[in-house]
Amino acid sequence: MASQSLSRPRPEKPPFRSIGRAALLTLPMALWALLMFTPAFREPGRNSHIGALAVIVFMTALFFMMMHTGKTYRWRRIFFVALGLLFPVGFIASLIALRGTMSIPIERMVSGDTPFCYMVIPMIVLPAALTRSVVFPGSILPTASNPHSIAVMIAIWLAMTLVVGKAWCSYVCFFGGIEEGVAAIPKRAKLRRIDPRLRLIPWAILIFIVVLSAATFEPVYCMWLCPFKTITEYPAVHSVETAIQMGIFITLFAGLVIVLPYLTKKRTQCGFFCPFGAFQSLFNKISLFEIRFDREKCVDCTLCRTMCPTMALSAESIREGKTLLNCMKCGACVDSCKKDAAVWHLKGTKVAVKPERARLLFLYGAWAMATMFGGSILANSIATMLHWLPLK
Amino acid sequence: MRGRLVAVLAYIGAAVTLAIAACVPFVLMGLFTKAVAHAGLHVDDAYSGGTVVRSVTRTSETGSYRIDVYRTVRPHALQQIDPFVQIAFRPVAALPKRVCEEVDLDGDGQADVRVSFTVPADPKARPAGEVVALNGKYQSFRMPGSYSFSELMVESGGAVVVRVPLAQGR
Repeated sequence: MASQSLSRPRPEKPPFRSIGRAALLTLPMALWALLMFTPAFREPGRNSHIGALAVIVFMTALFFMMMHTGKTYRWRRIFFVALGLLFPVGFIASLIALRGTMSIPIERMVSGDTPFCYMVIPMIVLPAALTRSVVFPGSILPTASNPHSIAVMIAIWLAMTLVVGKAWCSYVCFFGGIEEGVAAIPKRAKLRRIDPRLRLIPWAILIFIVVLSAATFEPVYCMWLCPFKTITEYPAVHSVETAIQMGIFITLFAGLVIVLPYLTKKRTQCGFFCPFGAFQSLFNKISLFEIRFDREKCVDCTLCRTMCPTMALSAESIREGKTLLNCMKCGACVDSCKKDAAVWHLKGTKVAVKPERARLLFLYGAWAMATMFGGSILANSIATMLHWLPLK
Repeated sequence: MRGRLVAVLAYIGAAVTLAIAACVPFVLMGLFTKAVAHAGLHVDDAYSGGTVVRSVTRTSETGSYRIDVYRTVRPHALQQIDPFVQIAFRPVAALPKRVCEEVDLDGDGQADVRVSFTVPADPKARPAGEVVALNGKYQSFRMPGSYSFSELMVESGGAVVVRVPLAQGR
C-alpha cells in the first residue's frame, strides 16, 4: 500500500503503512535524534541522560506514527503541545536558579544578560540597517551568563527558516503549543463565527511594531504586547508603567492563549495577533512545500476551513486550490479531508500527483528541526523536572 | 517537457532543503553565528552604556580598581531615554566599602560629579549612594530611587555601574 502511495496518484483512503515499512522510513529520523542527543550522554548527570533518552524515544515514536498512520496533525500536535507546556518549566527554572525571580532587573539588562527571543527579529531589522544598533538588552555573542545570545538565536532562526519557512509556527515555535493544547480540550467550538478580517491583525501589528521600534529604538512588542512575558520573564514591576505592562501581558495571555482558543478551537494568538507569525508568512513565498487542493475531488464541504487552526483557508483560496499566505503546514486540513482533496505538494510538480512523496520530503526536514530545537528544550525541561523530584 | 524539467528542479530543490537541514547543527548555525557576529552589529548604547573613552586607576586597601568613563549616550529619534554618561567602577572585589570619587565626565580636566556609594556585602542588594553634580551640565540623584536606563546605580557584570543624566535633557 505504501509503495502504491509513493508511485501512483493518491488512493481514496489515506496511506497506511505496515509497521516494517514505517519503521524503515523512521530509521533516518531515529538516527538523527540519536546524533542530536549523543552529546548529552557524555555529560555527567543522570537527569540529563534520562531527558535525552526520553526525547529520542518520544520524537522517534511520533515520527513512526506519522509514517504508520499517514496522518500528520495529531502526532505533530502531541509534540507541539508538550513543547509549549514544558518550555516554560525549563525556562522559569533556569531563571529562578540564576536570579531567584522571573522578573528581569535593570542590572541584568545593562550587562546584556537578557536571553534573545526570535520574536524580536522583525523589530531589530530597521534599526540595525540604519545604525547597526540592535535594540535589545542582550549580548551579540554568547557569554557564560547568557548563552542565548543575539547572534546564536538569529543563526538558529535563519537556518531553520531556510528549511521550514512558515512551518516554524507549527514545528519549532515554543509558544504556540499552549494554545494548541487549550484549543484541543473542548469537543466543539463555542464561538464559531469569526470575522475573517481578523487575519489581517497580525500584519497590522507587524507594521506597527516595526515602524515604532525603528522610531523609538525599543523592542516595542516585548515591552508592551507579548502575551508570553507572563510565562517567561518580564521587567521587574517597580512603577506604574511596569505595572501596566504586566497587566497587559497577563490580559493578553489569558485572553488570546487560554480563553479564546478554548472558545473557538483556534490558535487565536497565532492566527489573529502574533506579528512574528505574519513575518514568517513571507517565507511561504520561498518555501518549496505547500498544501494544495485537488479541485476534481473537492466537494466544498468546508471541513478543512473548520479544522484549520489559524483560518489560513478561505472559500476563494480553496476554489483556487491554494491556502492563504499564513498557512503553517500543520496538516490539519489534509488529515481531516474525507475526499483526499487537500494534499501536500512540492511546488513545480503536478497537484495531487505523489502527494505522499511531498509530505515525506517536507516532514524529514521539519521533524529534523523539531527534534533538534524543540527536542533539546524538552530534554532540558525533563531534566529540570527530574531535578525537582525527590528521587534517589 | 518544460513541466518535467520544472518538476526535476523542484525535487532537486527539496533535496537541497534536506541537505541544508542536515547541515544546520554542524555547519550552518556556526557559520551564521559568525556572519552575524562579523556584521558589525552592536547592542544599542541605551542598554550597553556605549564605549569607554577614558579610564582612571585608583588604589585602595583592598587593591587597585579602575574607573571607566563612557562616551555620552544620546537618544535616537523618538527613543524614550534622556542623554547620560555611564561610569563603571571595577572590579567590585577591589572596591573599598565606601567609595567617594570626583569624576571628570567630559574630559575637560575638571571634575563634573562626585559619586559616592556603599558597596553592599550582599551581592543581590543594590549599592546605595548619590551622585552630586559639581556644575550645571549633569543632574544629581540619590539611590535607591527611581531606576531607569539614564539614571541608575547598580552592580552589573563585576562592576558598579552608575549612569548620570545630563541636565539639559535632549
